[in-house]
Amino acid sequence: MDTESKPAGGESSLAAAAPPLPTVKLSDPERWVEQHGDYLFRYALSRLRDPARAEDMVQETFLAALKGGESFEGRSAEKSWLVGILKNKLCDYYRKASRETSFTDMEFYSGEESDRFIPDGLFKDGWIHELGPLEWPSDPGASLDSQEFWKTFHDCSSKLPKNVAAVFSLREVDGVESKEICAMLNISENNLWVMLHRALMALRRCLETNWFRNEGG
Amino acid sequence: MKLFEPIKRRAIVWVWKHTPNCADMSRLASRSLEQPLPLRTRFKMRLHYLICVWCKRYFKQLKFLHKAAPQFEDHADTLPDRGLSAEAKQRMVQRLQTAEKKSS
Repeated sequence: MDTESKPAGGESSLAAAAPPLPTVKLSDPERWVEQHGDYLFRYALSRLRDPARAEDMVQETFLAALKGGESFEGRSAEKSWLVGILKNKLCDYYRKASRETSFTDMEFYSGEESDRFIPDGLFKDGWIHELGPLEWPSDPGASLDSQEFWKTFHDCSSKLPKNVAAVFSLREVDGVESKEICAMLNISENNLWVMLHRALMALRRCLETNWFRNEGG
Repeated sequence: MKLFEPIKRRAIVWVWKHTPNCADMSRLASRSLEQPLPLRTRFKMRLHYLICVWCKRYFKQLKFLHKAAPQFEDHADTLPDRGLSAEAKQRMVQRLQTAEKKSS
């Protein structure tokens, strides 16, 4: 009995929530901007660090979405569909930008935490004990549910130089294959490793200082 | 126990001399996240961890970051960064509506 009443209830509430189809189509752009504009903008801004350019890219994303709209079905995935378009636009941008100026940023952290390693003697380039990595809480994974943790993560990655942060985001956050990144950014594989290594090193240190040290008490 | 101290020290020095130093270990740790390292290198890293709690921690923490990073996107929604201004939204809607009219 319950099974009978449920679909009926579900259908009627759905029908009430969703306007008739033609109206939906016409109001799409407005609804898109209202529902997804801020998210897409923040996303683009975090990658580009340039509000004007980020705004342009969101605009382009919506325009491309409008053109490709017919091929899209199923509104639950609308946001990820739009993010997908935006990601492609970002890749196009990186491709273009890397052809104009070199993407490699080797200046950053050239010392690679050299101040934390023993400068000479038998144990040269070993961690200075007092400055080595601290013990993190036994379950750092618990932090992943904390909004504050992700804010710290965001702040720390914002401190990375722009190009290093871009490499980190593409590889570690988006999971793009390293070969693909090298081709996109026009950098050698070795440069990619070095930039990634420095990004990870700086991020680890920043999170330790600003999150895990306080967490661990 | 004091008796064993010199032996312990000699063992540590031996391992230290036969494994990558900590600066190199940190580079290898980053690299190992991206691609499998040669067996020989992995063995040396294991050996190094026996004498170095810092490198062991470092590697563990790096693996944590590597695992956590993809989840960043799911949490980007609530970041305190500002969103689009009202004017920017207005501009976008207008351009989209024009584009829509042209195409239909």
